[in-house]
Amino acid sequence: MTEVKTVMLSPCFIKVDGMKIFNGSINDAYRTLINDYPKFFKMDGLCKIGFLGAELLLRCIASEDKENAAIILFGRAGSLSTDRNYQKTISNLNNYFPSPALFVYTLANIVTGEIAIRHKIYGETSFYITEENDPQMMETVIKSVFETSNPSLILAGWVDYETENNYLAELKIVRNQKQS
Amino acid sequence: MDNLIEQLKNQIIEVLNLEDMTAADIDSEAPLFGEGLGLDSIDALELIVLLEREYGIKLTNPAEGKAIFTSITSIADYVSRNRKK
Repeated sequence: MTEVKTVMLSPCFIKVDGMKIFNGSINDAYRTLINDYPKFFKMDGLCKIGFLGAELLLRCIASEDKENAAIILFGRAGSLSTDRNYQKTISNLNNYFPSPALFVYTLANIVTGEIAIRHKIYGETSFYITEENDPQMMETVIKSVFETSNPSLILAGWVDYETENNYLAELKIVRNQKQS
Repeated sequence: MDNLIEQLKNQIIEVLNLEDMTAADIDSEAPLFGEGLGLDSIDALELIVLLEREYGIKLTNPAEGKAIFTSITSIADYVSRNRKK
């Protein structure tokens, strides 16, 4: 397996292939680096960091190369941040107004769907919830996907969002050496 | 009525996360769905929740929604005639 390109998003910076390209909030990063997908502002934090990271990795990839790609993500908190916000809208029976827009994002794998829709990716998509960022396990899963589905490439990595001050996305594009 | 229209625009911007938009950017007569603001079905549900939470209006007939949510003006007109708070 070969890592073609990497991206890292944290509250302190955004790095592409180890080079810092942006300092600032997620929304400011979107406005500066992407800014052509207004639906971004409707996404929850997990989706935003996954989507932004994927944009920075996939926008240089030809569309025919993406069609058969796979998206395999891992994280610890999943959609917990949105679950908490949603819980607030249903916790008081005297002020009970469940938010449909929040409820849409109470599944971690929504982020893989948002990326797949944006880039017209039709391959396998998965979001694994794990206790910690485990590169060994990630590699095992990626190898298995290459062997079973033979995707053109895999967008893989760790996407974890607790709060706007505590998140991390470490994504990469991986190609199968046998294919290259 | 103008105050209600302004208030509705600001509430809609907030609940629908229409970042980078101000009330002045929203045409009161423009369609909310499809063209215009380009809202979707989830946004429609948020608008229903907004009317109930802020104005005590419960929409029980889905067929009503299409006419009510045509534009900001049509929402304001319905709210002014049916609000409970």
